[in-house]
Amino acid sequence: MRMDTDENENQEEEENESNNASSLVEKIQQLGQANVPQAPDSNIHVLSIIGQVEGHLQLPPQNKTTKYEHLLPQLIAVEQNPKIEGLIILLNTVGGDVEAGLALAEMIASMSKPTTSIVLGGGHSIGAPIAVATDYSFIVPTATMTIHPVRLTGLVIGVPQTFEYLDKMQERVIQFIVDHSNIDSEQLKELMFAKGNLTRDIGTNVVGREAVEYGIIDEVGGVKEAIKKLNHMIQSSKPKLEEEGTA
Amino acid sequence: MILYTPLSYQEIFPEEQGTGNEIQAIEWQGRTVFVSKNNNGNYQINQLISSNPNDYLNPEFLPGRIIS
Repeated sequence: MRMDTDENENQEEEENESNNASSLVEKIQQLGQANVPQAPDSNIHVLSIIGQVEGHLQLPPQNKTTKYEHLLPQLIAVEQNPKIEGLIILLNTVGGDVEAGLALAEMIASMSKPTTSIVLGGGHSIGAPIAVATDYSFIVPTATMTIHPVRLTGLVIGVPQTFEYLDKMQERVIQFIVDHSNIDSEQLKELMFAKGNLTRDIGTNVVGREAVEYGIIDEVGGVKEAIKKLNHMIQSSKPKLEEEGTA
Repeated sequence: MILYTPLSYQEIFPEEQGTGNEIQAIEWQGRTVFVSKNNNGNYQINQLISSNPNDYLNPEFLPGRIIS
């Protein structure tokens, strides 16, 4: 009898141990580590815009996309939440839907809270208006931005009308970039229609510092600079009464 | 719809549609996550959609987590 209970206990212990071990193993398999440190609430929120900006049309599954219907409500939430004081936009995008991109850019530009953006890797095509939409924009030295005309592929019905529509679409993009950065529209158009820079297209690929020299982006920098600038803007946007009180 | 991108049409809409893992967006503990079904029929988190950077440190939402 005794032997039996001992055996049972032993079995239970073994089961418990193996359960603990397997949950630990599972955690390590899933996360690569057993525990993740918890941080206090952040007053800065982050939106990453990666891959294609997906708008009116669902793209095939092999495309990595950022869906604008996910981002728009988040922007409202950031604007409304009193605990959130600033927003950083991380960009590594190959462009995408013109209207979805412009919608995002207009939303970011019309926020009252301080915003900064960092262009990492690439901020191509419709990524450009999104990057300049923030109060202050950064680009890392290795990132590139492709500035090129809006194109159309496929069947075209009513060529002059389509051309007109496309021209207006392009004008909206140009106008937005010009309004929210230091480049003028002539220079931007020059970059957009430059020949001999891109292999399959007209346009220009501007890298890191060049983007700043042309006036598209405000400054070369990464996370450290963007957070510092954002904190600075948050401090200066706070009511002056507080400053007087501390002084 | 007009796509403004340096990618070619074929890169975005390939003729052969791969039958990749179907990714769905679901609500999980008050956050939107993208999940895919693994071989055992369980859902596994692919990506978290949140603007709060601390959510990305929460083990509940980390990519690879199997949810039931």
